[in-house]
Amino acid sequence: MSRQGDWNLNPMSETYEPKIVAFLCKWCSSAGSDLAGVSRIQYPANATPITVACSGSVSPQYVLSAFKKGADGVLVSGCHIGDCHYMEGNYHARRKLYLVKELLEFTGVEPERFRMSWVSAAEGAKFAQVVRDFVDDLRPLGSQDKMRNEPT
Amino acid sequence: MIRIEDIRTQARDILETGEVRAVIGWRRGSRGMAAEPVLISQPEEAESLVWDPTCFHNLSLNLVQERKRLARKGMASNKPLALVAKGCDARSVTVLLQENHFRREDVYVLGVSCEGSGVLDERKLARVLDGLTPDSAAYDGDDYVFQTEEGEKRLPAREVMADRCLECRSAYPRLNNAVFGEEKTRGLEAPFAALSRFEQNRGAERWDFWKRQFERCIRCFACRSVCPLCYCEECVVDSIRLEVTPETTADEKANRIRWIERSASRSDNFGYHMTRALHLAGRCIDCAECERVCPVHIPLRLLNNKLEREAREKFGYEPGASVDLPALVSSFRDDDPNEFIR
Amino acid sequence: MELILEKGRLDDWIAALEGWQAFAPSQEDEVWGYRPTASPVRLDHPNTVQPPKNFAFPQREVFFRFEQVKGEPPRLTPVEPDAARNVVFGVRPCDGRGVVRMDTVFSDHVEDSFYLGRRKNLAYVGLACLKPASRHCFCKSVGGSPVSTEGLDVLMTDLGDCWLLASATPVGETLMQAAGALLTEPSAEQRMELARRHEEALARPQKSAVADVGNAATRLKDNFDSPLWEELGKACIACGICTYLCPTCHCFDLNDEVSGGKPLRGGRVRTWDSCQFPDFTMHSSGHNPRDSLGSRLRQRVSHKFRYFVENFGTPQCTGCGRCVSQCPVGIDIVNVVNRVCASV
Repeated sequence: MSRQGDWNLNPMSETYEPKIVAFLCKWCSSAGSDLAGVSRIQYPANATPITVACSGSVSPQYVLSAFKKGADGVLVSGCHIGDCHYMEGNYHARRKLYLVKELLEFTGVEPERFRMSWVSAAEGAKFAQVVRDFVDDLRPLGSQDKMRNEPT
Repeated sequence: MIRIEDIRTQARDILETGEVRAVIGWRRGSRGMAAEPVLISQPEEAESLVWDPTCFHNLSLNLVQERKRLARKGMASNKPLALVAKGCDARSVTVLLQENHFRREDVYVLGVSCEGSGVLDERKLARVLDGLTPDSAAYDGDDYVFQTEEGEKRLPAREVMADRCLECRSAYPRLNNAVFGEEKTRGLEAPFAALSRFEQNRGAERWDFWKRQFERCIRCFACRSVCPLCYCEECVVDSIRLEVTPETTADEKANRIRWIERSASRSDNFGYHMTRALHLAGRCIDCAECERVCPVHIPLRLLNNKLEREAREKFGYEPGASVDLPALVSSFRDDDPNEFIR
Repeated sequence: MELILEKGRLDDWIAALEGWQAFAPSQEDEVWGYRPTASPVRLDHPNTVQPPKNFAFPQREVFFRFEQVKGEPPRLTPVEPDAARNVVFGVRPCDGRGVVRMDTVFSDHVEDSFYLGRRKNLAYVGLACLKPASRHCFCKSVGGSPVSTEGLDVLMTDLGDCWLLASATPVGETLMQAAGALLTEPSAEQRMELARRHEEALARPQKSAVADVGNAATRLKDNFDSPLWEELGKACIACGICTYLCPTCHCFDLNDEVSGGKPLRGGRVRTWDSCQFPDFTMHSSGHNPRDSLGSRLRQRVSHKFRYFVENFGTPQCTGCGRCVSQCPVGIDIVNVVNRVCASV
């Protein structure tokens, strides 16, 4: 969140840029995002990547914490089902984070704010598309203040 | 009908034979009509046990507390502990067994099937009685019968019964060593009826509602304290187990991970209640004690019910159904929902 | 100063209180609490779930903010308590007596500038309890009364078609003077009616009573090691309801809440804490001197009926009954005091 000062938080402004925290698994999605980079695919720079060992290691607490610290959207991305480096980590992620998604929506948080994707190391273009779509969907929502910390 | 004499006799017997170390049940409370939890260890104390619609408490909590107390004193128990358990309470014992909190032989379940009675919702009752405060409550097969300063008051049970009892699917304690009462399905309302009613609201209305609830929360932690499944040694909102030695630096103290602050602010309250609901997913058996004890009436049951229904519909998972079940979030199926993932 | 206010004119009086933000009990999701007034203000509330403790002692307050650039000394920015003038209506006499006790705690030896900064801008307009405001209240047995003016600036008494307002402090007089012509002199009959209603309230028995509050401190001291404490505390679930809803519990915790990393910034925050939480007395070594339910119940009850008496000459409990009516397992402080004091 060190770049907080650089973000334009005014949703009405044409230059408003949603902040995304992206938890990317080390084996697939993180490599996928690297590929997007080295392939010089153009995509918005809104996502702050956090590399994790496995999508299955993403605790609901990470997601809630990102929102608490002011993320407008949270992305969790891992290997495709069947391709998990740890065999079944993404199965666990899918079930656990489905519950997080449902509960957030239940309390009235906009469903667009939380997203999951399966992106392999070879899918640089897909990763770029996922981020592009996410930014497009977040932009009309404006900044997220439901879960954000009140200023001290 | 359940006869309290039968429960007392059984409790006395197992205490006399020494089959169990103590029995956790309810006795007449000192505050108004409500029963209170009690742990008895002498056979003659069995006479003080009661069973009526104010036996709301899930006594498996006391089981967990007693285990903690013994552990603190460095004592081990060589005999099982008995508890009186309604259908829902017995399911939470099942979850505790499933999580290896106890061994089956450490627990003796005196199951009571609530049959048609359920338990009372004191807030609903207060609305109906409008200031009148009863001294006792009983169930006579159809009605709740209250003794008040203005004489006897009868109310159809379903009018003032707790929501969770109206929606109860299994009032019969499947896990038991002895059981009182018949297996009856009540089904006064469809399962998850209150949840479905709430879900009629649109997203923005739901947020307005929860925002108000989270702003009202005073973080007294009664919801956590009363929950038999909130037994974590260190809760995510406490930060007490950082070992502080003379070498611990100020930076280390300042930088210890605190996911949720102690402040009763909306965002921290949101984090607390979401975390708690998620941690109870697949474990909460809907005893609804958290909702009952909340002094500021936050309908916490809705959060837990939401995840309970998702688990049931999407993952075919029923909390407390069997000791042999794997935990909801440490298991998966090939056909778990996937369409929400890009 | 004793004056009459017509029932229908209460809102007009509130509107006339220029420069004051007014609060009165109202319901949200059936929870009675003090909220900004909305017309019509009725004052027909039972005991509010929370006492008006938050006005001077909020559950969370920031003492100062800090910011530190790596390698530089930290910069501190003090925070001034909110200077708004608040007037709280409908305060029950037990809660008024709670205010007096809180004032004592926060001004004895050390003056707590945050508490006192708010307190000096606060006024309490009380409401006499002609009927008990709760089934579990017991003010009379702890030295209070349903018509006490302790801690209150004005006491309102319902005379049927009008209120009789009695000022108890100079601030109260100011509030009443602001009403101008809305207030009229009471007639002789109205004064008699007031006396009659107060007498009736004083004579009305309360359902619950501390048996011998005068000797409680000594008896609690004698019975410090009584096995009864563990017995009575057995059902306790160690939540914070009794203390957080108490008009006189005042324990707090201090934490640095970090809100940003580069540069490090945040605030030092005071939040309520509760002696009933297991970690309240937890030492950093892991030792916990009050690790049993009974020892914590003893602490709460002894603070109310013994330690406060030893320190300030009066019991701290004002008999509002909240800890009794809201306890999830029905622990009744009156029952506990009476049982322990009666034991030998």
